[in-house]
Parts: sequence; C-alpha cells; structure tokens
Amino acid sequence: MFVYEKKLQYPVKIKNPNPALAKFIISQYGGPDGELGASLRYLSQRYTMPYPELKGLLTDIGTEELGHLEMVGTIVYQLTRNMTPEEIKKAGYEAYFVDHTAGVFPQFASGTPWTAATMQVKGDVITDLHENMAAEQKARSTYDNILRLSDDPDVNNVIKFLREREVVHYQRFGEGLRNTLEKLDSKNFYAVNPSFD
Amino acid sequence: MDNNCDYKNGKLPECAPLAMAYVPMQDSVKPYYNSSQALSKGTLFPGLDLPFMNMINTGDLTGTPLGELMALDFVAHELVLYLDTHSDDSEAFDMLKSILQLAQTANEKYVKLYGPLNKADLLKSNSFTWLKNPWPWDYDAKSEG
Repeated sequence: MFVYEKKLQYPVKIKNPNPALAKFIISQYGGPDGELGASLRYLSQRYTMPYPELKGLLTDIGTEELGHLEMVGTIVYQLTRNMTPEEIKKAGYEAYFVDHTAGVFPQFASGTPWTAATMQVKGDVITDLHENMAAEQKARSTYDNILRLSDDPDVNNVIKFLREREVVHYQRFGEGLRNTLEKLDSKNFYAVNPSFD
Repeated sequence: MDNNCDYKNGKLPECAPLAMAYVPMQDSVKPYYNSSQALSKGTLFPGLDLPFMNMINTGDLTGTPLGELMALDFVAHELVLYLDTHSDDSEAFDMLKSILQLAQTANEKYVKLYGPLNKADLLKSNSFTWLKNPWPWDYDAKSEG
C-alpha cells in the first residue's frame, strides 16, 4: 500500500501565472512520455520482475514518479491560477479551458487524453528494462524541450530537477540490467525469459 | 575505486556478449554532494550530474524546516536507489542510516511547527490537524514572499 506524505519532493513556488507555459508542460503530467505513464509503467511491471533487487528498484522509482506527477500537477495548477478571460484568450488557452476550466487533466500537449497505449508491460525482464531506459531518455528529451521554450526561472528550476532525475533513473535501470545479466547465461541471454520460464 | 576510472566513469566488461546493452556500473557513493547541493541539482552524485546547456540550479533550498527535511529525504532516496543496485555496499548503507537519523530529527521539527506530514504524525496532535492549510500544491507569493 501507499502512505501519503503531505509535501513535495522538491519545492514548487511559481510567482507569475502563465497559461501559455502550462499548455505544453501538461505533457509531462499526462503526455506520451510523462510522469503518469512512468509511474504506472514501473509499478505495473514490477509484479513479474524475477529478482528482489528489480522488485525494489521498480517499486522505488515508480513511487518517486508519483511524486513527480504531483510536482508537475502543481506547476500546471500554479501557472493557471486567477486567470481572466482576456488572459486565457491571449495565451491561446481557450481549448483547454473550455473542457477543464482551471482543473489539472492528464493529457498530451497536443490535447490527446493520457493513454496506456504510450507505455508497455511486456512481462520479460530484458525487454521491460530496455523499455524503461528508453522511457527515461524520452522524458529527458521532453524536459530539454520544455527548457528550450520556458523562460520562467521559477518553472525552470523545477524542470531542471525533474530532468536530472531521468538521468539518474537511466543509470539505475542500466545497472539493474547489468545485475540481471549476471544471473543469466552469457552464451545466450535470450535462451529463456526468467520472468516466465 | 579502479585506478583507471574516475568518478565520472564506471566499469564495463572487457569482453561483452553481442546484442546486449551495457551501462557502466557506478563504482562508489563517493564523491557525493552535501544535502543542500543534492536537492538543488537533482542528484547526490557529481558523476551523474549532467545538465542541459549548462543550465545549473545553484540556489539553497534548505533555509526552512521544510527545505531541510526535503534535502535529507532526497539524499536518503538517492542512497536507496543506489543500494537497490549495489546492495552489498556497506559504506552506502551506513551513510543511509545516518541520513535517516537526521531526516527523522528534521521531520519531528517540521511536524511540531507546521503539523502532520502523514497520518502517524497525528499522534503528536491535539486535534485533527491533517486538514490544515497549506497543501503541497498551494503557494501564495503574497503571503510567503
């Protein structure tokens, strides 16, 4: 089970609402490489992980991703507070506003609702760890792109933190793969699927 | 630590089977940042600190009881992820235990001043303070400065 901690992993304190930024940062909430998909990917894959060090790694990173989901939701919430209809129109925020007002909805920057079709749980330890390493790189690229587009330091400090977490997670998944390989037959890593056979 | 590898590099097998991806293993928890730097940068480990376009966070976020607690909890979490893939590293485990001790003290300090962080903290409350504002996503620039 999970116990809620009534604090963020890293502080989010945005002084100036700016719905134009929220329009694309929402993608790390419910977009194709966002934090909702990350947490569900790892927390779902962990059931068939064959070794305790991988069960632990996916549980611990998957739980951290839930904390990141909360941080990105907080960014979107703080960027879209106290908007006037004029500000909404000026920022081009009408399409989101008419569907969700100032609520925080998991969707792509392009408006597509979050979908499990953007993630995979293959039930094969080598495949799932490769999926996760790729997922961390995709999220890292998305944060790079957000940093190219945003000029608000209150937002960018948080984005830089989240981006760096992707780099660390990539390293740990890579090490998890290395530890896995040590348990497999190096003459043919693909001889069996230790998650199933 | 291997003489040929500094902290930005890790070990790979000399001969590795084809058709497999290899990420070098991080050799050691050393060197590491202090807790304030770790939280700002998003990692405890200088070897993994790889910013985009030299965009580096430099501010100190630990000037409040909450910031202090966030930094210690973050370092503990970084050590747990490291230990998930280096479970025999007793130096890292000893470090985790000392950080957990500091985090517990910082947690008690925060809870006493501002209220519960989780339901178990209600043991220290005289009333149901769980609902007390602010919630983590609330931030009012006017009142907090």
